[in-house]
Amino acid sequence: MLRKHWTALLAGAALSFSVTAASAAELTIFWAEWDPANYLQELVNEYTAETGVTVTVETTPWTDFQTKAFTEFNAHGDAYDMVVGDSQWLGAGSTGGHYVDLTDFFNQHKLTDVMAPATVKYYAEYPGNSGKYWAIPLEGDAAGWAYRKDWFEDPKEKEAFKAKYGYDLGVPENYDQLRDIAEFFYRPDEKKYGIAIYTDNSYDAMAMGIESAVFSYGGDLGDYSTYKVDGIINSPENVKAVEMYKALYGFTPPNWGKTFFQEDNQAITEDLAAMSMNFFAFFPALDNPAVNPHAAQTGYFANPKGPTGEQHAALGGQGISVITYSQNKEEAMKFLEWFIRDDVQQKWADLGGYTCSQAVLKSDAFRNATPYNEAFYQSMFMVKDFWAVPEYAELLTQMNNRIYPYVVGGEGTAKEALDGLAADWNATFKKYGRM
Amino acid sequence: MGEALAVIARLESDTRAAARGWSDLTIRNVFIIPTIAFLIVFNIFPLIYSLGYSFTDFRASVNQPANFIGLQNFRELLNDPNIWRNFTVTAKYVIVSVGGQVIVGFGMALLLNRQFPFKGLVTTLLLLPMMMSMAVVGLFWKLLYDPSWGIINYALNLGSFDWLSNPDVALYAVAITDIWMWAPFVMLLSLAGLSAVPQHLYEAAAIDRAGAWYTFTRITLPLVAPILIIAIIFRTMEAFKSFDLPFIMSGQPTTETISIRLYKMAFQEWQTGRSSALAYIVLIVVLAITNIYVKYLNKVKER
Amino acid sequence: MAAVTSPGRRAYNRIAIALVLVITIIFLTPIYWIASTAFKPRALATSVPPTVLFQPEVTPFIKLFTKRVQLRGPVDPATYEAAPWWEKAIYDGGERILKVGDSIQLSPYPDRFLNSLIIAVSSTFLAVVMGTLTAYGFSRFRVPGENDWLFFILSTRMLPPVVVAIPMFLMYRLVGMTDTHIGLIILYTAFNLSFSVWLMKGFMDEIPKEYEEAALVDGYTRLQAFFKIVLPEATTGIAATAVFSFIIAWNEYAFALIMTNRRAQTAPPFIPAQVGSGLTDWTVIAAGTFLFLLPVAIFTFALRGHLLRGVTFGAIRK
Repeated sequence: MLRKHWTALLAGAALSFSVTAASAAELTIFWAEWDPANYLQELVNEYTAETGVTVTVETTPWTDFQTKAFTEFNAHGDAYDMVVGDSQWLGAGSTGGHYVDLTDFFNQHKLTDVMAPATVKYYAEYPGNSGKYWAIPLEGDAAGWAYRKDWFEDPKEKEAFKAKYGYDLGVPENYDQLRDIAEFFYRPDEKKYGIAIYTDNSYDAMAMGIESAVFSYGGDLGDYSTYKVDGIINSPENVKAVEMYKALYGFTPPNWGKTFFQEDNQAITEDLAAMSMNFFAFFPALDNPAVNPHAAQTGYFANPKGPTGEQHAALGGQGISVITYSQNKEEAMKFLEWFIRDDVQQKWADLGGYTCSQAVLKSDAFRNATPYNEAFYQSMFMVKDFWAVPEYAELLTQMNNRIYPYVVGGEGTAKEALDGLAADWNATFKKYGRM
Repeated sequence: MGEALAVIARLESDTRAAARGWSDLTIRNVFIIPTIAFLIVFNIFPLIYSLGYSFTDFRASVNQPANFIGLQNFRELLNDPNIWRNFTVTAKYVIVSVGGQVIVGFGMALLLNRQFPFKGLVTTLLLLPMMMSMAVVGLFWKLLYDPSWGIINYALNLGSFDWLSNPDVALYAVAITDIWMWAPFVMLLSLAGLSAVPQHLYEAAAIDRAGAWYTFTRITLPLVAPILIIAIIFRTMEAFKSFDLPFIMSGQPTTETISIRLYKMAFQEWQTGRSSALAYIVLIVVLAITNIYVKYLNKVKER
Repeated sequence: MAAVTSPGRRAYNRIAIALVLVITIIFLTPIYWIASTAFKPRALATSVPPTVLFQPEVTPFIKLFTKRVQLRGPVDPATYEAAPWWEKAIYDGGERILKVGDSIQLSPYPDRFLNSLIIAVSSTFLAVVMGTLTAYGFSRFRVPGENDWLFFILSTRMLPPVVVAIPMFLMYRLVGMTDTHIGLIILYTAFNLSFSVWLMKGFMDEIPKEYEEAALVDGYTRLQAFFKIVLPEATTGIAATAVFSFIIAWNEYAFALIMTNRRAQTAPPFIPAQVGSGLTDWTVIAAGTFLFLLPVAIFTFALRGHLLRGVTFGAIRK
């Protein structure tokens, strides 16, 4: 009986031995499971063809990405050589000692001129304005909007809209118009709804949606250098912005309480909503006729202005960093040198990656390459981001805990939610000795 | 002579038997000690690790050492109304879900406890719900509940009734999925227990013209009880740890179980010390509840 | 089961069986829906009203096994024509298969599936064997502090995995067992032991000690009595334990995600993540689920005789 135990154990051990033998000259990049990771895999296959070094892009679902990455970092693991981390991870990555300092690399290759300024500021630099860089901007992204051109261009709709609201139906120029259009198209009995927005509170989806509104209303999340939040996060502009977001939630399809990019895209492909918010990274799906039956009638616009005329968009996107605990750091640096070559950046854009290289972004070829590239180009020069401090996850959780019950649950008022959030964030910053 | 040989032969076989067989004590030790040793080794480190950190402000994500802060974590947690809300949500979930599983599972076992063609096939089919991973079940049921493209509202003609975004209904919707998934577990164990009830007891009761209720409460239930209670104990422990289903299906504060809170605290905020403290609070609660069940189980077995 | 079959009983029986059928159909509707989604073209996956009759296709399975990307423009007609039927199907879906040179890149699914098989089978075997032996030990012999030991075994299942995950991960890192098969095998065995011991003890307690005592009088050793008398009586328990342990190990998600990466990761973290082209591809998830369900279903079906046999007693009862 016991002998069976041991045989099984030995067999298992032998098996594991045979499959854990590692091979040499291999790089592993860790990213989330989505199309850009597939494009990156295609891109790096060319590096393999050129140099013979196998590069594998290992992925995990978005919901688990942060967990898995930081578990590995905190345990000083070497499973990954590079990671394409979220911009918010910069603080944690750098102060935790997980990211290799790339400042010299940046200066040597003058990447501050090569990459778009917003991308350098948010994807690479930490702390703000310090001149220290920890990642190479890899995938630019921002929150944008898709809409049904056919619904907007229908003459009957245009007439009815003009009659009701007094101006022409078209791409909304500001949030008030966005709201009007959402209300206009909200027809539950016809199973047609006005708008689709982010509401998932398990990570940063809803926060990004709210940010887009807040930034365009001229508001901020706080002072990123002094960490002061009182009067900023709960400013009158922010209150109006959050109230607007809740108003928009009222025009979403039913069961819209836990939505992220899949649901918002489905709102367009399934003929549900007139307009849908999503990160530009997910718009290629909408442009693909095999995936979106309305691809030819789908248009795109950048985040609208606020009532004061300010216009911003929430930043998405990631930069690629080298992990301190990797066994192949030199090899990784060589890979980065290859990655920033102009021709590689162009190839990256051709394959579908959202390059951050200024030259490519500004080119007419790029702006006309797809229906959404123009809006993307505009957005990338007016983006703003969330806190990048190491404790950003706590700030995010607190934001979700305060705002979600108001927007989706209908509890309390926007002012109460934001005042509560200011208190939460104050407490957190005090806890970490920032004020 | 023949007799003597027979005696010798039997004596020899006795000695041989004695020499061949292990003593009861050896068997007992060999059978039990490896398992216990294995479990101790496996669990001791995590338990001590968590206990140790629960008294500190340690965060696994920063390079600073842990500071001893005594019972502060516990005090803060027990005074946090959000944590209490998580506990009430979890308690409600456990009661509804386990209760539902027992009613549906045991009920189905009662119905299945007879001969009919293809019984094996039907039973296996009924076990299918629990054979899928919870992540997949959560995803698909989220789709099923969707008013715009899900089947449930369509089949029951509920129009655009909102299941999962509705704070009041969401918890019950998730519980229904849980019941669907695990009632088969209770069913299978109940079935095994039911088939252990000796026929002659039923026959005796029938001869005595006992009513169905009497047969059920005095014969069936007491004999199925040991296995059924084991099933309930394990399902309760699992329900307390519920994470996957509520996390995937709904983001409502009314469905945030204590496990979800633990996950966010440990893996999003990286508050290792605090989450360890919370884990110990949960452990104590579950220990207490399970203790009650086990005492009841022992009482039932002694009858 | 009623042996006295009066007409009343027979009618009652028929009603019960009818109810069973109705409940089975309702219960299994979601499963049928998932299984059928695995064979639908992508456009029909989330259609309402749900399509019941459709032309089944195997494209979802092709997608399941290949790494793909979205098409960025129409396919070159020559390339399309030259492609085999399954590749054409992918092109029709607006995607193309990733290739290195001329060889197609397989998705991680086959590897993960195999890992799942190795790990689940091994850990189930270990858990059942150790559990049965330990249960017998507790059931038949006096153990000092028995209730406490049993409660300890039970308590190993009480901590939520999220909390045990970090120390467990660190522990594994220390001994170099992360991302290994043996690592997960040991882990799952530890998980399942608690349930295995308790369930087997539950069944063994129901087997009258008198059987073994009679055997001992007849000259059997204790061990022989265990193998020849007790084990055969306990097959229902063993079958149930094996099925449940297998299911738990087969579908485990949290630790599979955290403890393993490319080499030893199992299928559950992979299947729900099929986000094709910015939208959840339900057909591929369904295909992955369908295939993943087969080994468990077959295993359970093979054991159905033992599961339903029950424990039969003779006249020896307290």
